[in-house]
Amino acid sequence: MDKLYEAIFKGMAPLAKTAVQEALDNDKSPQTIIDESMIPAMEAIGQEFESGRVFVPNLLLSARAMKSALDILKPRMMAEQTTTLGTVVIGTVKGDLHDIGKNLVASMLEGRGFKVINLGTDVSKERFIEAAKENNADIICLSALLTTTMDYMKDIVDAVRAEGLDIKIMVGGAPLSQEFADGIGADGYSSNANEAVMVAKKLLS
Amino acid sequence: MIERAFHISPEELPEKEVWFAMGYKDSVPEQRVRDMVRELIDQLVPKATLRYMYQIVDAEKLSPRQVRFSDKTFTPEGIICSYLKGMTHALLFIGSAGWEFDQAKEELKAGDDIVADFIADSIGTVLAEMTVSQIEKDYDGSGTLSMPYSPGYCDWDIREQRLLFSLFPEKPCGVILSESSLMTPEKSVSGFFALGETLQRQPYHCQICKNTRCYKRRNG
Repeated sequence: MDKLYEAIFKGMAPLAKTAVQEALDNDKSPQTIIDESMIPAMEAIGQEFESGRVFVPNLLLSARAMKSALDILKPRMMAEQTTTLGTVVIGTVKGDLHDIGKNLVASMLEGRGFKVINLGTDVSKERFIEAAKENNADIICLSALLTTTMDYMKDIVDAVRAEGLDIKIMVGGAPLSQEFADGIGADGYSSNANEAVMVAKKLLS
Repeated sequence: MIERAFHISPEELPEKEVWFAMGYKDSVPEQRVRDMVRELIDQLVPKATLRYMYQIVDAEKLSPRQVRFSDKTFTPEGIICSYLKGMTHALLFIGSAGWEFDQAKEELKAGDDIVADFIADSIGTVLAEMTVSQIEKDYDGSGTLSMPYSPGYCDWDIREQRLLFSLFPEKPCGVILSESSLMTPEKSVSGFFALGETLQRQPYHCQICKNTRCYKRRNG
């Protein structure tokens, strides 16, 4: 197990920074570092979560370590051509200010190789569409924690379809279900952050 | 109408409740997570002014789905109404971890630390719930108090929060209710305790509710 993989898997941000710098010093490219150490570590912690061996804070610690390492890689990534799994625009829908779960999903997607545009909370359908167009997004992820705001997701789905955009739409949030997602015409639903990554990958495969 | 504000010391906040709110249920977090929780409790709790407001009104169960509080009819639905046999009054409440806590949490968010944000959110949840526990301790009247019930839980439509707020002065405890029934400060709670001489206090509702798909379920 390499040092960077271990640092991210165990959620140790300072160690991840040191390890990624060492990898760069050893002439490894950002893409290699991401593909061979960082993403496998995030996948491994995701699997641990799925099997109930670790808890949400472990995912967060790993995501934080991953972000620390990515921050060091980003200047190099801009200089070199790096690939992503796809671009995701994510936000909590209008009327809702809850963002803990949405931010976790954003971190997990970023950690597993997606480019993520996080629009924050209380996001209108117009803003989702504008950001999706600007960033040539592959997926729009919608989050809601209130039964009173989840219905707005249908407005967003309808607006995206009306624009004729070829974008997949994923939804999530505590009060939602697969039935609800199917009912509003969303392409994917997940009940937790790790599953969200799997659904996103499947939608783009 | 009774309104109070109070402070607690960091030592008074039960860490295990924070762990529970973080999803650990009966498990104990690893040492570094416990240390982070302790550090954030020490940092945030002294800044919080907890507030609550409550009143006791006439109440009756109108049907298996509906109740009357004062002159308003509410529809808490079957799960909650099934626990209200013998209710003659209701203690209506609003509690909040307060604007000061919300502000401290927002300042923390500027640090862009997703782990700290999550722990702070869980601390806020526990602080808000502590206001409800404090109301229960305050109550010194006769009869039995039920468990607390809130719009948004156990099939009770969260939109009835607006009706509940209509029985309180504007911005009770400084809490603002949005069109989408979102309370600000975010860590606020509202609801009622049923009261009655013959009322029987039931166990925590998740333990006797068969709705295993409920997103607020606290066990099994």
